[in-house]
Amino acid sequence: MGLGGGRVRFNVGGQVFDTTTTTLANAGRDSMLGALLDSSWNLAPTISGGGGGGGGGGVAEYFIDRNPACFAVLLDLLRTGSLHVPPQLPEKLLYREALYYGLLDHVRAARWGAFDGDRLLLAASVPGRAPGDGTAIRAAPDGGCCVAHGGAVHVYNWMLDERRPVSLDHSQVNDVAYLDEGTLLIAARERLGKYDGGLAVFSAVSGDLHHRFRVVHDRQAKSFTAGALTFDQDSNIFACCKGRFNEYGIGVWDRASGEQADFFYEPPGCALGDADKLQWLDATNALMVATLFPKTDNCFIGLLDFRQKNVVWSWSDAGTAASLDDKRVLHAIAMEDERSVCVINQYDDLGFLDFRSNAGGVRWSSRSKLMNRKVPGEESCYPKLSTHGGQLFSSMNDSISVFSGPECVLTSTLRRSNGGAICDFSIGGDRLFALHNEENVFDVWETPPPPII
Amino acid sequence: MSSQKKRATKVEPLKHRTDVDPKFFDKSWKKLDDAIREIYNHNASGLSFEELYRTAYNLVLHKHGMKLYDKLVEKLKGHLEEMCRSLEDAQGCLFLEELQIRWDDHNKALQMIRDILMYMDRTFITTLKKTPVFDLGLELWRDIVVRSPKIHGRLLDTLLELINRERMGDVINRGLMRNSTKMLMDLGPSVYRDDFEKPFLEVSESFYSVESQQFIECCDCGEYLEKVQKRLAEELERASQYMDAKTADKITGVVETEMLSIHMQRLILMENSGLVNMLIDDKHEDLTRMYNLFKRVPDGHSTIRSVMTSHVKETGKALVTDPERLKDPVDFIQRLLNEKDKYDKTISVSFSNDKTFQNALNSSFEYFINLNNRSPEFISLYVDDKLRKGVKGANEEDVETVLDKVMMLFRYLQEKDVFEKYYKQHLAKRLLSGKTTSDEAERSMLVKLKTECGYQFTSKLEGMFTDLKTSQDTMQSFYANISGDTDGPTISVQILTTGSWPTQPCAPCNLPPEITDISEKFRAYYLGTHNGRRLTWQTNMGNADIKATFAGRRHELNVSTYQMCVLMLFNSTDGMTYSDIEQATAIPRAELKRCLQSLACVKGKNVLRKEPMSKDISQGDTFYYNDKFTSKLVKVKIGTVVAQKETEPEKMETRQRVEEDRKPQIEAAIVRIMKSRRVLDHNSIITEVTKQLQSRFLANPVAIKKRIESLIEREFLERDKVDRKMYRYLA
Repeated sequence: MGLGGGRVRFNVGGQVFDTTTTTLANAGRDSMLGALLDSSWNLAPTISGGGGGGGGGGVAEYFIDRNPACFAVLLDLLRTGSLHVPPQLPEKLLYREALYYGLLDHVRAARWGAFDGDRLLLAASVPGRAPGDGTAIRAAPDGGCCVAHGGAVHVYNWMLDERRPVSLDHSQVNDVAYLDEGTLLIAARERLGKYDGGLAVFSAVSGDLHHRFRVVHDRQAKSFTAGALTFDQDSNIFACCKGRFNEYGIGVWDRASGEQADFFYEPPGCALGDADKLQWLDATNALMVATLFPKTDNCFIGLLDFRQKNVVWSWSDAGTAASLDDKRVLHAIAMEDERSVCVINQYDDLGFLDFRSNAGGVRWSSRSKLMNRKVPGEESCYPKLSTHGGQLFSSMNDSISVFSGPECVLTSTLRRSNGGAICDFSIGGDRLFALHNEENVFDVWETPPPPII
Repeated sequence: MSSQKKRATKVEPLKHRTDVDPKFFDKSWKKLDDAIREIYNHNASGLSFEELYRTAYNLVLHKHGMKLYDKLVEKLKGHLEEMCRSLEDAQGCLFLEELQIRWDDHNKALQMIRDILMYMDRTFITTLKKTPVFDLGLELWRDIVVRSPKIHGRLLDTLLELINRERMGDVINRGLMRNSTKMLMDLGPSVYRDDFEKPFLEVSESFYSVESQQFIECCDCGEYLEKVQKRLAEELERASQYMDAKTADKITGVVETEMLSIHMQRLILMENSGLVNMLIDDKHEDLTRMYNLFKRVPDGHSTIRSVMTSHVKETGKALVTDPERLKDPVDFIQRLLNEKDKYDKTISVSFSNDKTFQNALNSSFEYFINLNNRSPEFISLYVDDKLRKGVKGANEEDVETVLDKVMMLFRYLQEKDVFEKYYKQHLAKRLLSGKTTSDEAERSMLVKLKTECGYQFTSKLEGMFTDLKTSQDTMQSFYANISGDTDGPTISVQILTTGSWPTQPCAPCNLPPEITDISEKFRAYYLGTHNGRRLTWQTNMGNADIKATFAGRRHELNVSTYQMCVLMLFNSTDGMTYSDIEQATAIPRAELKRCLQSLACVKGKNVLRKEPMSKDISQGDTFYYNDKFTSKLVKVKIGTVVAQKETEPEKMETRQRVEEDRKPQIEAAIVRIMKSRRVLDHNSIITEVTKQLQSRFLANPVAIKKRIESLIEREFLERDKVDRKMYRYLA
């Protein structure tokens, strides 16, 4: 329909737009514009235009009863693939219109660029309203995030609108993970005598509880406190578990059936049930468990093989650390090549442990920051580590350091003046979220879309 | 005021915008409801997509999502039930066509309904995790149409009936079949599986169960397999034409189970046409088919293999133990070779050179060749025959192939040292009588043995060749040395190194004086040039050319040394008794008897006459010069009556010598092992010794034990004082 030569005329809220079918094809068949132009809706040649009827000059046009300013931006997006929002146009308005046309995904994809730790810009600072310190922040695969805060998890979509908060009986939340952009996994503490806490999945969109995972010991369901979480590429969910009758270990559940698949009981000398960090190593087919200071006096990092039910690699600083001033491992993360684990101490030194040798100690790297080597003050938070796309990120006080390349060279520092120390950060959906301690605010860092030339 | 206000409400133009309008939902839904009906009636051209989309959008925006969804379900259900009723009326074979048309309609309508309700799909449905509109439409189609009691069975029956007709050879509308199964697949893999695939496989199972029963009653194995192959191809083709890709494996699985697995034993062992008959008759095409078909069946190949193995073992055993065959060693080995060739060809042509089959064949041959302990001797005799006569009209390459094949048999032998013994004897005979046709072939055989068994195995055989070469040189220089003095007979001496040759110690016979003369000259010459050596005449191995005159006719007789000695006696007399001859020549009795037999009792070559005339030689016989001897030939070769094969006592002797030779080898092996291990228990020694000697012979544990005891006696080893089973090496 429309004009000849593949041209199409729209009348949106009174304003006329001419474009081509090729441009509109970029919207995809699964969009309002795609359906509008589909042949099944344009069978009879006698009908002029979808619904608007003929315009003044007998030219056929499609009438759409929507905001023309937003349509202009969206049409521009379809034409060029890049998003330019005029300053006077509220973003939320644009998002609403994009949803009407089924173009919200297009907008999100054009909104910010592919993640690069060295090109991050601060995109937004979102204040929270919950009192006290936040526990954890997690990035969703689609660019949203959630903040665990006391007994609740505050969920934000990628437009940074807050959704319904999620809670598991308002128990203290220990860890959160996005199984996918619409599904949240929450690990909570069990309160004495209440038989609550544990592990459950929620809809990140509606906040509804979908399933609560059970732990069975000796064919008896037991309540438990769930700690650190992770999951693998297949369908297994792993969580640290502490039962009240000393049933410490790592629980494994099948994501599809929701049933408990396995339980790795804590062997002597390996602290598993109260770990700070779990990480599934895909290539190695093993689970990294790290239990670190200050949760325990003796740090332990181990690799568990679930098929043979044994600890295939482990490291512990038991007996080496004498005084508080000694280097303590405060956080750990397996590097992306799965050959080593990176650790950090209270002086912000990076260290590495090799998975291939079982004997070696931590190889501390003095190449990290040669800063003041004082013991951090009271207001500081413990440092955190993360990896993404070959880069290593570490938080210390109010900044995040970005290390690049195989030698982990410091290449960028992300810092914002207010908000206080960073207590947690997370990378996902091409965004970095940093949760600040003092004002309960989180910062959103994005890579801007690539430059025009 | 209040009335004015009321009026103002009435003229509100955007009624559908307000949430308060109680009829807002009903009005909007009516619009959508009408549109859906028009869509199903192929009347969509009058509809405005934008308007419908906006209507649905507004409903969702104003929290009527749930209601809209419920209404939609209700509406779709109504439509589908109506469709279902009209489908039930469809007649006979038009049913599938009708179903197809309705399905296409439904799909198209669903697409359009989804377009209208796209906003609901994106927001309301994702939030509440409901089934999206399109999938909902498919689910309802499945539950209301496909699984309605009247259609469900009819659809399945129609499909299965059509497939059955195709199996019986009818041509059916495959496009329709494809569309029908595609519909089931579109409704989800479980629908296809439960509503079509499973019953299809069940029906096929009983079909092929019946058919295979029919076939097996009336077909022979080859025909049966041909039919199975055809059926498999058909089913594969059918599956690829109008079924899911995964069904192909399942249906072939059914055919394989019903037609092959269940009847496997019966087919392979089928009388007069089974595997054994195919092998016997070299039915390579059938064998190939059998191999390829049973590849698909668990244990198929192993069954074929075991049947083949037992057949080969059986026929082989019959061959090697048949006393009739033992009479002709060359034929015996030739048959073995033919057998091997036959199976090699079968494996390469029909069994795609399958390694496991080759191994099975090898082990079968190994099994039965060693059943007959004369096999080593026979193989050596076969080589002897080939190298002596040369392969008829054969060029070098052919000789090589024959030798290669023989080596293959040789590899199966457990008692390779016995073969060596015989080979040495036969080679010696060939070399000494100058009957080897090709030096090249002899050497090539040696090289083959060497690569197979190592240099020790052939060092003595090579020594024999060296001896002959040196002998030639020695003879030349001897005659050069005594040149001029060539009046008497000439001799050609071959100097054999003791140990390299299979010589038996024999008392030298009395040579005629002419010969003694020249041989003494040679002895003097040889010992003169080679200090410290000893020469012994092996008169039992030589031969001579002598000239004789019979009633004026001159003949040249080619005889053995012994025969020469006997004949020379008749230069001075015409008749002699047996005992005179024995006394004059001092030839051992058995040899003398044989040589007299060949001189007097062979027709056409009886240069002597015996009295009384009889076949056998006895003590009292008298021999005369036979002047009536005639022959067309000037040169007459008087053969010795020699047993090509060994006689029973000779065999025993060889065996004993072999056993004797094994002793030091076993001892050497034990010492080698103990030297490195120092302490070892009895069973381990036995195992290791057996392993070390495997390339030469299969060591007998009892023999090994005896050797160990002997070594203990000689204080090479001692028993451990605590554990009597342990042996200790004494350096």
